[in-house]
Amino acid sequence: MKNHDDEIIISYFLKGGVMISVSFLVLGVILMFVQNGGDGFTLSQMSSYRYALNHGIDSKAVPLTGLFTGLESLDGLYFITFGLWTLIFTPITVVFIGWISFLSDKNYRYVIMATIVLFNLLFAMLIIPRFIA
Amino acid sequence: MTLIVIIIKFLTIILGSIFAGFIGSLTGLGGGTVLVPILTLFYGIPFIFAAGASLISTIATSAGSASAYTKKKIANIRIGIGLEIATTTGAIAGSLTLITIDKNHLIFLVYIIFGIVLLFSLIPTIRKIGSEVPPETKPDWTTRVFQLTGQYYDERMKQTVKYKGIRWWLGEIIMFFAGFVSGLLGIGSGALKVLGMDWAMNLPMKVTTTSSNFMIGITAATGSSIYWYEGYINLFIAAATAIGVLIGAFFGAKVLVRISNQNIRWVFFAILSFLGFDMVFKGFHLANFIITFSLADQFYISIIISIIMIGLLYINTKRKTFQKVNKNEKSR
Repeated sequence: MKNHDDEIIISYFLKGGVMISVSFLVLGVILMFVQNGGDGFTLSQMSSYRYALNHGIDSKAVPLTGLFTGLESLDGLYFITFGLWTLIFTPITVVFIGWISFLSDKNYRYVIMATIVLFNLLFAMLIIPRFIA
Repeated sequence: MTLIVIIIKFLTIILGSIFAGFIGSLTGLGGGTVLVPILTLFYGIPFIFAAGASLISTIATSAGSASAYTKKKIANIRIGIGLEIATTTGAIAGSLTLITIDKNHLIFLVYIIFGIVLLFSLIPTIRKIGSEVPPETKPDWTTRVFQLTGQYYDERMKQTVKYKGIRWWLGEIIMFFAGFVSGLLGIGSGALKVLGMDWAMNLPMKVTTTSSNFMIGITAATGSSIYWYEGYINLFIAAATAIGVLIGAFFGAKVLVRISNQNIRWVFFAILSFLGFDMVFKGFHLANFIITFSLADQFYISIIISIIMIGLLYINTKRKTFQKVNKNEKSR
């Protein structure tokens, strides 16, 4: 990385991602306690771990397609979902900024390597779920 | 259950996570390594929920602390992204292995593996192999091909340190295992990442620890998304641990700078080895295999073994320094 400003940008992205995520998590937790649960599950169902495990009350039960309608209806569970996915995407932005930076440096060897990393990440997110679900 | 009981339950998870983040940051092992045993052994949370909550919380601490280090330009993002090829591949393999183990009802295996990994990662952390700046070595072909050079400004030594990495291929192999362990056990596996860059690639300790910090986040993101679709993340637990570990790691980093008495760290190592032994015993207990103690007995036996082990290690370390001091007297 020749241009060291990119490292400052990465630093801001990391900090910003964590801040957005934590604020959504805290909001979600408050909403969840106020509404006694979310997305059709009650708090006592979610906090009885064995019950939750056997009845599939987990991340699989929260459809990501309903994320924005869930956020609109102020459902605490979807706020937590949004917070956790922001967390997952935060480090990916580092690889993405790195990719752009390598491209502008004409460092094509590392452009390819960053592409492989991004491919692995997308593979884990989009392709593997089709086989395990 | 009334609402108050659930609120207390939530707050106790936050407290446990603060403790895990604090010890994880002080010992340099990361929050997840402490969090998973605490959640499974003391809160009765099933392993897969503990692993899911821990892995996603690891991203928060990694991103939080990495933001400070990248700004100071110590972490080498180029080398880190290059090594991420192996860690992300390893994380995919590891989390798919966990899913296979879980589907075949062999989860006791993961407890035993977790305990062993925890105990073995204590050894290099205690011995703290590798000085601040590694000895100058002849660059090999990978140094040029993969551009393993860099420099940073050392505030304590007040000079710019230039470094050259070697054996990129060996680093990649170790990183694959680091990723595999991360996906299998739901931890960041920072100890293995440090081993890969410090021992295999001969990079300075500062660069190693800071680079591994932001790499943990990318590895954990890969595993977390697979965990998500498999339903390993309980949102109630994950929300509490993500917030708690972040708070704990923040305070750990503040205290770490001020800690002058090295003996305090031995207490933490004793706690960690206790957790490691207890995980192994719990695995045996679940499998009904050879040694099965009742849960209370497990607890006490683990305490005794860990006190003996850490005690011996402590005496051994002290004796070595003592011998160095007395060398002149002995030669007389």
